[in-house]
Amino acid sequence: MNIYITGLGCISAIGNTVAQNRESLRSQKHGLQYAKYLDSRYAHEKYFGEIPYSNEDLLKKLSITPHTELTRTDILAHIAFAESISQAQLSAQEISDTNTAFISASTVGGMCHTQELYNDANCIGSPSPYIDSYNCSSHTLHIAQQYAMRGITNTINTACSSSANAILYGMRLLQTKRATRVIAGGVDSLAKFTVNGFNSLQIISNEPCKPFDQQRNGLNLGEAAAYIVMETETTCKTKPRLAVLSGAGNASDAFHSSALSEEATGVVQCTEQALQQAGLLPHQIDYINAHGTATDNNDGVEYKGFLQLFTNIPPFSSTKSYTGHTLGAAGALEAVYSVLAIMNQELYPTLHTTNPMHSSLLQKYTTQQITHVLSNSYGFSGNCTSLLFSKA
Amino acid sequence: MFITEIQAISPQNTYTNKGINPIVVHNGNRYYAIEPNYSGIISPNQLRRMGKSLRMGIGAAMPIVTKHSDIQGIILGSADGGLEDCIKFLNQIVLYNEGTLSPTGFVQSTPNAAAGNIASMTKNSSHNCTHVHGGHAFENALLDAFLLAETQQVEKILVGNIDEISDFNYSIEMQGNWFKTEETNNTTLLESNTPGTVCGESACMFLLQSHALHYYAQICDIDVFSFPESNEVEQRFHAFLQKNAITTQSISRVYLGYNGDSRYDFQYKKIETLCSYASNIHTFKNLVGEHPTSIAFAVYLASLELHNLPSTNIPCYTLIYNQYKNNQHTFILLRGKNSA
Repeated sequence: MNIYITGLGCISAIGNTVAQNRESLRSQKHGLQYAKYLDSRYAHEKYFGEIPYSNEDLLKKLSITPHTELTRTDILAHIAFAESISQAQLSAQEISDTNTAFISASTVGGMCHTQELYNDANCIGSPSPYIDSYNCSSHTLHIAQQYAMRGITNTINTACSSSANAILYGMRLLQTKRATRVIAGGVDSLAKFTVNGFNSLQIISNEPCKPFDQQRNGLNLGEAAAYIVMETETTCKTKPRLAVLSGAGNASDAFHSSALSEEATGVVQCTEQALQQAGLLPHQIDYINAHGTATDNNDGVEYKGFLQLFTNIPPFSSTKSYTGHTLGAAGALEAVYSVLAIMNQELYPTLHTTNPMHSSLLQKYTTQQITHVLSNSYGFSGNCTSLLFSKA
Repeated sequence: MFITEIQAISPQNTYTNKGINPIVVHNGNRYYAIEPNYSGIISPNQLRRMGKSLRMGIGAAMPIVTKHSDIQGIILGSADGGLEDCIKFLNQIVLYNEGTLSPTGFVQSTPNAAAGNIASMTKNSSHNCTHVHGGHAFENALLDAFLLAETQQVEKILVGNIDEISDFNYSIEMQGNWFKTEETNNTTLLESNTPGTVCGESACMFLLQSHALHYYAQICDIDVFSFPESNEVEQRFHAFLQKNAITTQSISRVYLGYNGDSRYDFQYKKIETLCSYASNIHTFKNLVGEHPTSIAFAVYLASLELHNLPSTNIPCYTLIYNQYKNNQHTFILLRGKNSA
């Protein structure tokens, strides 16, 4: 069964729409800078992939009237969701159909409102308007209610591979005919909570990140929402087919809560599964959108995985050098970029890297024939996922 | 799929799998779990650093995963993960004005830490996923197991739930008017006829197998839906039975998620009325308290009940109906081992 991508939606530090994101990628314009809206003492010490709008300005971009007070996470999810269903031309009736599933992902949920959460959890002052919205699933339920969705809904949290697993789950719902149409992706917004969490692990860089550089020195945190619409032959009919989701693999590294194993167990296994499902051999991969967080551990182990998987490593890059690491949204955002690469037969280079670990690391924008793209996502607690997109 | 192993840590004496009688009495708004002695299951060094949700989850899973080295998936559902650790870390951020912090609370509080720990403790690199969809977190873990078994021809999968009572989620939910303001206990909770419920916690683990000769129960089907319109619960009930080719006469046992909240218990009444042929109508939140993944405890009890039934040739079906805050609704259909 072919799974077709018929709609894309995203908002990140490099654009409010898919078209703006693509333009930034083409022109190699990154969005990493000091944060303006993040409430943290690190806002002007570290670089962030912040979406450069206040919550009030973001709310103005919504075409719907929300039922409740929305968190920043909710708003970002709404924006990307609306774009994806609009491109896929889904009617209100189709979205409400019991066979339409909505699978989202988040790691921070409404905890981006850290101060309000602190007050509410410690019973300081009167309850904030976000009292029901801290959970990771709140944005999913807000959207499901807003669009009167009656099919399966879900929220996944496997840390930084969350939304890649949302896409994998959506794919399997289609394959087993539990849904005929799936909107899948994820969202995370910048939060004092995660900034301090990653900072306590000492893996945040003080400069724009340098993925796969021999002198890489850590990641930048970012925020984003991204969704893709997936359909099968029966529902997509004459719609433009942007790409095919041809394979997906999920494996645990089974090693450590905050580091990948030197053996690259999970990294290798999830890619092998994706290749096997797609019926492809490693040499058929034209481009890898790597996880590439620019931490010493991630890029080192991911590269070791490439060496085990590929005789000749295909061109690869990390678009986190544009957006920062958008955590639970990263897998879906990079799925959107992978589909854009296929649709436009173009590849987006890694920025800021001066001493690449390998010559296949893309450092300039190129156009070439692209049929199969591998997109990797790895999360804390060893959650490794690979997605494989192919030309429709 | 077939449930072939069960293990639960809950506010009742469930760890030995010998049934829940006599019932452990709980008073007030918090039904805390009775935790087993974890020595021999988790090393003292690891245990010291683990929050309650993590140790309950691992403690419930280990007896199963150590017995079955060929598990091909570890799938958990948890609405909140280690919320106690999470807010402790948050409080440190505020208290020390974002100073130097230990990462342990941050790393261990994420909901996927339990499934990750189970994988690393048993060196199991198979499919690993954590679902956090509130009142549908456990249901999606079950569905994930079905998807994995059907698309990847997988035989054995660990599926479970974890949710803990933390002071912080209690405070947040209390301000959201989710818990009772007056005193109740196990026996008076469901008749209280006042708004709000009580807070509970559990970690229930199941080994699901695609094929099995000996098992507790077969999970026939799951239906999940959100924000139903006025008649939709009854409509979904009838459609669910029709899809599984059974009638109300075939349902002999029902588990209903009554939680004593006068605002939403009417939904259970509807299903209770429709299941008039059932010989046993069970409740479970008077035993385990309310929490987003409490339905896992109903699956545990129903499995145990079906397992202990004498053999007959009449198919024996158990229906579980639960809803969380009247937003997320679920039907689960189980079939007993002695069915024709």
